[in-house]
Amino acid sequence: MIEVVNVTKRFGGLVAVNKMNIVVEKSEILGLIGPNGAGKTTLFNCIAGYFKVDDGLIKLDKKNITNLSSEEICKNGIARTFQAAKPFGDLTVRENIMVGAFNHTRKTKHAIEEAESCMEITGISHLANDTSKDLTLCDKKKMEICRALATKPKYILFDEVMAGLNPTEVQEIIILLRKLNSSGIGLVIIEHIMSAIMSISHRIIVMQDGALLAEGDPSYIASHPSVIEAYLGKGKEYA
Amino acid sequence: MKISSNNNNSLFKYNNILSHSNVFEFVFIIGLIALPMLISNSYYRDWFVMAFIMAGASCAWNIIGGYAGMLSIGHAAFFGIGAYTSTLLYVRVGISPWLGLIAGALLSTIAAIVIGRATLRLKGTFFVLVTIAFCEVLRFTAIGWRSLTFGSMGITLVFKKNFFNMMWQGKTAYVLLTFGYLVFVYVFNKIIEKKKFGYYLVAIREDQDAACACGIPAAKIKTIGLMISAFLTSIGGSIYAQYVMYIEPDVVFDIMISVQLILIGILGGKGKAFGPIMGAIIIIPLSSFLRGSLANLSGLHGFVYGVALVLVIIFIPEGVYGRLYRFFNKNKKNIKNHVEGVM
Repeated sequence: MIEVVNVTKRFGGLVAVNKMNIVVEKSEILGLIGPNGAGKTTLFNCIAGYFKVDDGLIKLDKKNITNLSSEEICKNGIARTFQAAKPFGDLTVRENIMVGAFNHTRKTKHAIEEAESCMEITGISHLANDTSKDLTLCDKKKMEICRALATKPKYILFDEVMAGLNPTEVQEIIILLRKLNSSGIGLVIIEHIMSAIMSISHRIIVMQDGALLAEGDPSYIASHPSVIEAYLGKGKEYA
Repeated sequence: MKISSNNNNSLFKYNNILSHSNVFEFVFIIGLIALPMLISNSYYRDWFVMAFIMAGASCAWNIIGGYAGMLSIGHAAFFGIGAYTSTLLYVRVGISPWLGLIAGALLSTIAAIVIGRATLRLKGTFFVLVTIAFCEVLRFTAIGWRSLTFGSMGITLVFKKNFFNMMWQGKTAYVLLTFGYLVFVYVFNKIIEKKKFGYYLVAIREDQDAACACGIPAAKIKTIGLMISAFLTSIGGSIYAQYVMYIEPDVVFDIMISVQLILIGILGGKGKAFGPIMGAIIIIPLSSFLRGSLANLSGLHGFVYGVALVLVIIFIPEGVYGRLYRFFNKNKKNIKNHVEGVM
């Protein structure tokens, strides 16, 4: 269980995340949405150790992980992907995933085996020998998911993993994410594609201006007046 | 069952020691040692000895500059520490250069820890600047601290033929010694290339944020990389001093040494164990040849040398061996795809 308690992050005078409270249950899919600039990615970066929080606590299974460095967060079992895909460009896909697998093994042979099985799960085995910078966006994203999976995490944070993909590819990613979730990994997903996030999430949290706006299951969120207002502006009487 | 046999197959391919590039490297290295043993002309043998030393030191630079992508322009510092430590211990105290070489390497490692702790947590150009500054500080220290280092006068070693003194008549022993050094550093690179540590260095070079997200302690890995690199570069410096038998601050702490190590690495192909060997075998004879044949027009050899390098960097930015390696691997991949297609 990831617990985010009263977390505040300021950039100078701007409060990017304002006293946020979130609980991510074991093996659930939590959607995190909100308009641009709501502080979703900042919150991610706080959890993943890229930003130091100014106030508040972050706990993983009762253990305080507030302000640990990003590699220690990963060692503790929270992996992440990035908004813009970040492959290790010169390495092949297999090697990229091996780097993830080295998180829990020292032996190259084990890392290769782990990489092979993760590629099997994510369905990218046929790309194993390709140089990762030459991949299509969708394959890069799948590879990043696979690399995160190879670190053997309890939770994975996905930052707009479906952005820029076409509907068929979005479906592939959704199937893949469900597969990961059913193997017991908790997922937190930031996403702007509403149909995708609504169909995949068990629970959704809406952020606005760094604070919690609404929380609930997808159908509740979809009909929540202040969520609609945040996305579409104030409705007219006839709208 | 089918899946597992497939896996084994690709594992085998992945670890294939007899890949085209490995065979090429092996044959090339055999050629490298055969040539100077067959040639008796000591002028050409000198090329080889210098190329071996510089190739070895450049391979050592490659660990931090190539794999980890941290452009150190101050590796002459470690080269100089090696040269001065072994030479001073020998001249002042009478300690064998064989031991002095280890002492120098350990001193360089300590220096690397200091530089690493100070700069490798930060991103950007701090590291590059500090390496230059550190090397300059050492150069001026060596010039100024006359009571210890003899200052700008330098130190001339008196020839006393003895294994213990690391001095031999003729060049054969030096060829073997420097070749041994080169092979040692090369094999070391070759091993870490396929180990966790090597992959971590490359991952940090390619994307440090993503590397950290994979649980890589970037600053620590880079510092260890710099320590190893400094250790190995320093040994090259010690051997250089014993071969040339004369050192002065403006030679061994000169930024030109650093630049040459970098050029060898980049021209040959940085981030590949074999790259610097290729680079050295091209650059050292080339610069020596140009200096000899264009001697009547002073400065012209530097100009031609520079133009040649610029052309290489424009047209083959991945380095001569980087290009060859890609060629070998492309062939391998085509064969693999072909095999899979048939199956």
